[in-house]
Amino acid sequence: MKIKNILIANRGEIAVRIISTAKKMGITTSVIKTRTEPAAMYLAHADKIYDDTENISEIPVFLDIERIIRIALEIGADAIHPGYGFLAENPYFAQKCADNKIIFIGPSPDSIYKMGNKIIARKIALASRIPMTIGSEGKVPTEKEAIRVAQKIGYPVIIKAASGGGGRGMRIVRSEEEMPKMFRMASNEADKTFSDHSVFIEKYIENPKHIEFQVLGDKKGNIIHLWERECSVQRKHQKLLEEAPSSALNDKTRKEMGEIAVKIASAVGYFSAGTVEFLFDSKGNYYFMEMNTRIQVEHPVTELITGIDLVEEQIRIAEGKELRYRQEDIKFRGWAIECRINAEDVQAGFSPAPGKIEQIIMPSGENIRVDTGVQAGSVIAANYDSMIAKLIIYGKNRKEALANCKQALDKVWIKGTKTTLPFFRMLIRNPRFLDGSITTPFIENEISSYYVYSEYEEMLAAWLATWLFIDENLDEGNLKIDIDEARNISPWLLNKRINRH
Amino acid sequence: MAKQNKKLYALTGKKKYSFNLPLTETIKIGKRQYKIVIKEDGRYGTYILWKNRRYPVEIILSRQNKFEILFNYVCYSFTVETPFSLKRKQYLNREKGPAEEEKILAPMPGKILEVLVRQGDEINRGDPLLILEAMKMQNEINCPVNGIVKSINVNPEMNVNKDDLMIELSIIH
Repeated sequence: MKIKNILIANRGEIAVRIISTAKKMGITTSVIKTRTEPAAMYLAHADKIYDDTENISEIPVFLDIERIIRIALEIGADAIHPGYGFLAENPYFAQKCADNKIIFIGPSPDSIYKMGNKIIARKIALASRIPMTIGSEGKVPTEKEAIRVAQKIGYPVIIKAASGGGGRGMRIVRSEEEMPKMFRMASNEADKTFSDHSVFIEKYIENPKHIEFQVLGDKKGNIIHLWERECSVQRKHQKLLEEAPSSALNDKTRKEMGEIAVKIASAVGYFSAGTVEFLFDSKGNYYFMEMNTRIQVEHPVTELITGIDLVEEQIRIAEGKELRYRQEDIKFRGWAIECRINAEDVQAGFSPAPGKIEQIIMPSGENIRVDTGVQAGSVIAANYDSMIAKLIIYGKNRKEALANCKQALDKVWIKGTKTTLPFFRMLIRNPRFLDGSITTPFIENEISSYYVYSEYEEMLAAWLATWLFIDENLDEGNLKIDIDEARNISPWLLNKRINRH
Repeated sequence: MAKQNKKLYALTGKKKYSFNLPLTETIKIGKRQYKIVIKEDGRYGTYILWKNRRYPVEIILSRQNKFEILFNYVCYSFTVETPFSLKRKQYLNREKGPAEEEKILAPMPGKILEVLVRQGDEINRGDPLLILEAMKMQNEINCPVNGIVKSINVNPEMNVNKDDLMIELSIIH
């Protein structure tokens, strides 16, 4: 069934991203204008705008199942693309779409439910003989039980939220002494984030790499993978930079892991785009971690090396079309890197730094792709994520991609908020990152400073501070402060003063 | 007045940058003078031109003699002092001796979930003080010094802003 009008139940860069593919396919797009972001960039890209600025609910509309469905019916959308986050992995939402004869551009409610519940996902993986870490058989209800399980599998262990994802409700426990506190914290966080306090326990793999496989399946049962991405650059389980392919895999392991990814997707009758995440240890063992049943933030790196538009495939699959590729058709060439440029203060523990983007100039060129939902004048609102732009760089090989990335980072110009740029400028010069050997704890444990300190830049900033100090203490061209010969100020300063008033 | 008084200092806490008055638009490095130009236009906003490169600058804070400058995306904090105020400051610091108190400020806006210490507790560097939830993540705030809990200014479920005082400690030297 041909899709004619997609309602995008999302905002920001992913809304813009979906619209660009829909346009290419001749599909009309509708977006929702919210009170929080009435002038957002994605609105200008869409064909139709539903004005929801009258909605004063505290819950963002993108999380409001009933309201989204009502809007879709009202504007006559025949499909909904959920993007990522918000309702993208909510099985009830996918079911509600089906109940209202709206095509949900994503997998079935059943697949979302099974993979979304990590305890069920573990059971399915176990039954399919997928390599996994040892762990509790189901949920662990009490601290006492947690201690018993941990004794059996041996410390360190990791507590995870059953309905978890994105690092929330997750705690590493290294000794029995820590267990009660960590158990409580994980359980509380799980409850607050996912409204489900149940947790389970797994053996903690020390210093793993995070490697994930992109899969695509159609409604006829055909499933393929589009090779891997490596996302070992993380802080508190939040990905900061992703690349494809991974420098850790040889052809044999890559093929093996790809086949396992397809196997687990098949086990839940998966269709649409999805991601199977693995931990990869220093000995080359890999363990299934979880499956994400949505398009991922980092999907562009796969698109750059395979040449396949994943959103287009999602839409085709949702229309009921058969996959147009077989596994042997999926080749990859070159290397791609994505930097998530966020409005965050890296000098204050990556805390969100919302604000208005005054200027934004992103580099462009043959090997550069920028996915953004932000333009000069846009406001990074505290209610939503802190993403400003994804800078995605291509190169013939990793070395070239890194060199291109370094150059491109120097060309980014963003004024108005603090950004994660200093972090990437530091990382792109770090030998351990450059040689491709880093593992997931690296950023938190082995980096002493999240930016490159430059004495020259500090000196220039000191000069500017001094200049401002003088400027603010001028009175009729004289310095008010306790310095003799203050009358002797530069004509340039005087000029500045005159121009200002 | 003595000649060395025609100066201003920008202090970072670790470093002291001194600038002769009147302040010129040049910085001397080795034997060469490099010109600094402050510019502003619609495309780039405010920036500094130095050695043929454009550097984005933003003034994050400007309060009396305290400045926070975002220079090329990195934040630098300074206090600007005259030779006289610097001497006074150094004198006061000497009089005060080593710090006696440590204030634990909220590193980010969020909600207090748990307070793990009580007033009067003797605690060690690295001990957890409280749990702060921000962006749906629970963050354990650890004690930066050895000391005694002097006062607790927060309760569970309380919302805090960045830099709100949460706990005061008396340092044990």
